[in-house]
Amino acid sequence: MEKEELLRQIADAVVEMEEDTVEELAQQSLTAGIDAYETIDLGLAKGMERAGQLFDEEEYFVPELLMCSDAMNVGIDVLKPHLKSENVSKKGKVVIGVVEGDTHDIGKNLVRLMMETGGFEVLDLGRDIPPAEFVSKAEEYGADIIGIATLMTTTMPGMKEVVDILADKGIRDKFKVIVGGGPISPAFAKKIGADGYARNAADAVKVAEKLLSNTDLALGA
Amino acid sequence: MDVLSPKERLLRSLKGEAVDRAPVICPGGMMNSAIVDVMKNHGNVLPDGHRDSKMMADLALDVQADTGFENVGIPFCMTVEAEALGSDIDFGTLKCEPKIAKEIFPSLKDVIYKADDALVKSPRAGTVFQAIYNAAGHSPDIPVIGSITGPLSTAASVVDPMNFLKELRKVKDESHRFVDYVTNQLIGYARYMVDNGASVISIADPTATGEILGPRMFGDYAVVYINKLVDAIHEMGVPVIVHICGRMQAVTHHIANLHADAISVDALVSLKKLKEAYPQLTTMGNLSTFLLEFGEEPNIQRGTEQLIQDEINILAPACGLSTSTPLSNIQTFTGAAKAV
Repeated sequence: MEKEELLRQIADAVVEMEEDTVEELAQQSLTAGIDAYETIDLGLAKGMERAGQLFDEEEYFVPELLMCSDAMNVGIDVLKPHLKSENVSKKGKVVIGVVEGDTHDIGKNLVRLMMETGGFEVLDLGRDIPPAEFVSKAEEYGADIIGIATLMTTTMPGMKEVVDILADKGIRDKFKVIVGGGPISPAFAKKIGADGYARNAADAVKVAEKLLSNTDLALGA
Repeated sequence: MDVLSPKERLLRSLKGEAVDRAPVICPGGMMNSAIVDVMKNHGNVLPDGHRDSKMMADLALDVQADTGFENVGIPFCMTVEAEALGSDIDFGTLKCEPKIAKEIFPSLKDVIYKADDALVKSPRAGTVFQAIYNAAGHSPDIPVIGSITGPLSTAASVVDPMNFLKELRKVKDESHRFVDYVTNQLIGYARYMVDNGASVISIADPTATGEILGPRMFGDYAVVYINKLVDAIHEMGVPVIVHICGRMQAVTHHIANLHADAISVDALVSLKKLKEAYPQLTTMGNLSTFLLEFGEEPNIQRGTEQLIQDEINILAPACGLSTSTPLSNIQTFTGAAKAV
């Protein structure tokens, strides 16, 4: 099988949530001598990107996206030992978590998943995280982006608190803050002084890429 | 002067009968209205009130008296059901609601099924029944609403939700067996609530949203098991409110298939449009809880008047209230609702 065809089939198998097929094809890619990174990037991640697109278009929902991710991970497990370390370049570092008082982390988990697939290094703080911890962990980790999620209206003020703490400490400019989740709107994001609003997990990757590329432009100018 | 008692008004509204004006309520459970202001005013506080039936009833009555909501809502959280079925609960603080600390089962295949009366025999369910009994005896004209966590949310509080959501698709037979088991537990729970004086049952199922499940699984699971629960409660002679969280577009066509007596929705949904699409629905909602927490009085007043103008059948907050919502804002809401 030609390389392009094999990679396309791997991507398809991820979209179709076929773990066994992904495993088999990943093995085949190694036998065929295809670079493991290329298979991840143009096969597995490509498939996951398409799954994210289907999620965005409301063809796929949370269960489907999670199953695609399981299929992708089966492939990554096969390929990872064969990765050459030099091609592990990352787009940026993200600290992500759900605001204190909220234990719904399905959305946040999806964002982590899509961010990692999209080439970001992600530190997942988990759920029910106090605002100060977002800031201290972001500093420690050297994050470029702080992602804050909530599903509950009641915890929305916690998002503002993160932005306020950053400002108080005089480090607001060091991080891009992206907020998202059920009750959040672009207007709210703007109101609390966040840098970006992500509509869903697929959107979060795009917003993160855009924010970081703008930084580069700003720095270059 | 009001010609109907709050209980008559709510029950008539739920039957679709004529009323003098729309009732203004907050059912409890996920839509908890035990705010810090009320707790400070009277000294009946959370988290103690989650486990003490007298304090639970007293706090629910304090909330009713202070806020002007035309019902008593019990309990104040969504953890009673999952705790009874084995999960670990973090009871939170005065300001912060309880939550599931850890689901007891990692996956469906790990589930150990309990007897069908496990939920009703649990200590905290007992606390809830006693609190309902006390509150119902206190003021017969005020309806007591028993609040229940819906079948899928309870299921996803007993089995790790990330696995459970996949298993809904991957192992359908086992998923149906489990959600059916949970539903049977909830039916028992509702029965004891009704026997102890609850005149309305409210079901909130935040895991069962179109955004999470998508339309097919919403139809296959949420509609089926919510309806099973609603039908059983109807057999007890009691009306049921169902609250659907989040944006609803993906599942709007399923809403008319729910057997609920009223459909309550989040602030993101236009109740006016929902009414236009499904005129037979009794609608409930949906004043933004963000507005209630941070809004100015005239805006709350205007928002309420808009709901009345749109002929929403039952006025209520769109979601759970933040515990730091100012009491005066809630009073503005209930006052405007009653000024008709």
